[in-house]
Amino acid sequence: MIPIAYWRNRKLYTRLIGSRCKRCGAEYYPPVKVCKKCGSVDLEEKEMPKTGTIISYTKLTEPPVDFKDYSPIYLAMIRLDNGVTVLGQIADAESEEIRIGMRVMATIRKWTEDGQNGIIYYGYKFKII
Amino acid sequence: MSKVYIKSAGLIPVGEHWNKSLTDLMVEASLNALKGQDGVKIDRIVVGNMMSGYLNNQEHLGALLASALGMKGIEALKVEAACGSGGMAVHEGYISVKSGDYENVLVVGVEKMKDADTQVLTKALAMAESADFTQVVGASFISLNALLMRMYMNKYNVQEEFLDYFPVIAHKNAVTAAHSQFKKAFTLEDVKRSPYLAEPIRLLSSAPSSDGAAALLLSSKPSDVEILASEVSTNELMISQRENPLKFEATEKAFKKAVEKAEINPSSVDFLEIHDAFPIVAALSLEAMGYSAEGRAGFDAANGKYNLDGDLPILTFGGLKARGHPVGGTGVYQIVEAYMQLTGTAGKNQVQGAKLGVTQNVGGVDTTSVVHILRKVS
Amino acid sequence: MLYSMRLNSAILGYGAYVPKYRISTEEIARMWAGEGSGPNRMKAVASYDEDALTMAYEAASIAMKMANYPEIQAILVGSESKPYAVKPMGSILSDIFGFNKILGVDLEFACKGGTEAVQMISGMITSGVIKYGLAIGSDTAQGRPADDLEYTAASGAGAVVLGQPNGKEIARITHSVTYVTDTPDFWRRPKEHYPMHLGRFTGEPAYFTHIMSSVKLLFEETGFKPSDFNYAIFHQPNPRFPVEVGKRLGFKEEQLKPGLLNDELGNSYSANTLVALSAVLDVSKIGDRILLASFGSGAGSDSFVIEVTSKADDDDYIPLRERLKNYVEIDYATYSKWRNKIIR
Repeated sequence: MIPIAYWRNRKLYTRLIGSRCKRCGAEYYPPVKVCKKCGSVDLEEKEMPKTGTIISYTKLTEPPVDFKDYSPIYLAMIRLDNGVTVLGQIADAESEEIRIGMRVMATIRKWTEDGQNGIIYYGYKFKII
Repeated sequence: MSKVYIKSAGLIPVGEHWNKSLTDLMVEASLNALKGQDGVKIDRIVVGNMMSGYLNNQEHLGALLASALGMKGIEALKVEAACGSGGMAVHEGYISVKSGDYENVLVVGVEKMKDADTQVLTKALAMAESADFTQVVGASFISLNALLMRMYMNKYNVQEEFLDYFPVIAHKNAVTAAHSQFKKAFTLEDVKRSPYLAEPIRLLSSAPSSDGAAALLLSSKPSDVEILASEVSTNELMISQRENPLKFEATEKAFKKAVEKAEINPSSVDFLEIHDAFPIVAALSLEAMGYSAEGRAGFDAANGKYNLDGDLPILTFGGLKARGHPVGGTGVYQIVEAYMQLTGTAGKNQVQGAKLGVTQNVGGVDTTSVVHILRKVS
Repeated sequence: MLYSMRLNSAILGYGAYVPKYRISTEEIARMWAGEGSGPNRMKAVASYDEDALTMAYEAASIAMKMANYPEIQAILVGSESKPYAVKPMGSILSDIFGFNKILGVDLEFACKGGTEAVQMISGMITSGVIKYGLAIGSDTAQGRPADDLEYTAASGAGAVVLGQPNGKEIARITHSVTYVTDTPDFWRRPKEHYPMHLGRFTGEPAYFTHIMSSVKLLFEETGFKPSDFNYAIFHQPNPRFPVEVGKRLGFKEEQLKPGLLNDELGNSYSANTLVALSAVLDVSKIGDRILLASFGSGAGSDSFVIEVTSKADDDDYIPLRERLKNYVEIDYATYSKWRNKIIR
């Protein structure tokens, strides 16, 4: 992780701030500068809904090096209630039997940290509801 | 516009080359390709590679290779398109010859992966998707493919084992391939007994990490094999941003364009070298090219269609899974292998009467797709 | 001179967060004593990806939703397990909740950081300096392996959204006092991972002396007596102390019982009494009066008079004890991995 890149995106990561096209209404997370549907460059910030549905998931036993202390991690694709799909971890998944179609809600957890003396990266994860 | 031919090809065995550096791999493959080409003046070097900066502390591979080959002064560059870097390097070589500005171009694909720790490598491969929005949540490259595979199994009601026929085919073919990383056949049971790396992808259904390099000498001068088409297309960078993640749009478009350019009938293709990094990638690639119906690629594989002696052989030397997957080298290996098939030098892996071959190399999860169509010159 | 505040602040929303995982004290005893258990049955354990900040967020989210997201002007977070020694949680939460023109800062006073936040924000509201504030207590308390504290040192967070009374508030805070002395019952030096304590000295001279002094001051100031309260919440370092101090002060067990959580949750330090307050507000009725007294080692006690004025208006709210039914027990190995007790 790169601390300054994290800082730049902190509100996206904690509040799921995406964007909405003012012309055609299409919504995006992550935010875009150009609407992929209609090509408009007139977009505004839009906070995504915090609830959604699992459309796929996996249990990852060999995560990338920055996440090795947290292995295994449970990753899912979530269709938010506005139709936007986001990638995120399932929190407190150890004891759950994850299934496609489960309802989830976004919360904030530690994503990772730069060792004992570095930055802690907080961001959205999804809890099964 | 010139036609583009493969004048010669070379490779080194894929595997763990503890005693060879990134440079050694490139030089050795290049010298193998240039064997017997003493009088040929090379106008340009294109190197395909994904991760040399992160894994080997080395960039500037174009000049590095030119210098190592004693060719200082030549135009040289590196191209990168994640796991599609090799295919993209061939494409770059192809368009330079086709333009008429260059007569002979040396294309080398290389990756030196085994010096790196596995978790560092896992991070490096994840760079094929977004740093800011994929990597931050802990996703690895394999996990993205696992998400697709689960989605596929759920949508088409396909059992994991049908997709796992692809690694079985790959390993069977690799046994007799001199340059393959794994010369061991696996049964479906073997695959099913191996541990999950990211459910439902298992250790034995996942392409390995490898050291390797392959090289091609492309030329406008007629030779044994002609590249009829070299086409590239891209998809949304992140699978989460795709309307239908189970549709490999980049491969579909690149293949369609290539078929039109080459003016061939897809059913006349004799063999396919596809990007079988994971079974799901093999399946979705075959479906995107129209060789299997949606949701049916695994069943076709189970029924023998894609065996070396089947209707449409794939992975004729073991593919990414068993020949090995030196990331930036893979796309070039595929074309060297197609060259071997079309020149009748494939040995025990020879597809009898092969005249027309297709290679498909992707970067990311079908984020960049490079399709080549090659024909034996009669 | 007596430190005493006549307050007029309103609780507009409250929330408690307890992580999903528990370790039984039998499991801890199995590790270090071979048999037996601690004073409590279980304690709550934060998952590997939780810390005081994430739990503060969870508790605050519940409280903010109940309060219908008012324009917060101060976020004070009490904690003795801040994720950063230097870098406040208050500012991180300010960004997360989207309020930047605010006071966002952390407080520490062992187990009473959370009630300090309530007291200070209530003071700012009473004086008219701010309209709305968020007070949080959150801790991933750590006990040194094999230490007595390991049985109880737990994780959790409690939050209240405070504002000026508007007739629709859930409760009013009408009075608060604090009693503080220099008592070395428990401490942690900088850069030390685990706290030190003086065993039984943490009882009479520390816990009992400070809570009783604080509550007696509150009675003197307000004229209230134990029978004027429907509920009493005392800091719960173990299951026995709050019951004992209540008895000594003249409270009956039924006044204490709705807030007693230590047996199943352990001691969540700065969150302790605020989590108990959630449990009590979940069952209290309009017109009820609640006494709350925290204790922080070092040492001091904040006590409050809280009057219930209406029921929470939040259809999605699930009472704390309902949520606590959904927990998962972990073993000592998992606990060690998650709470950083394995040297790598």
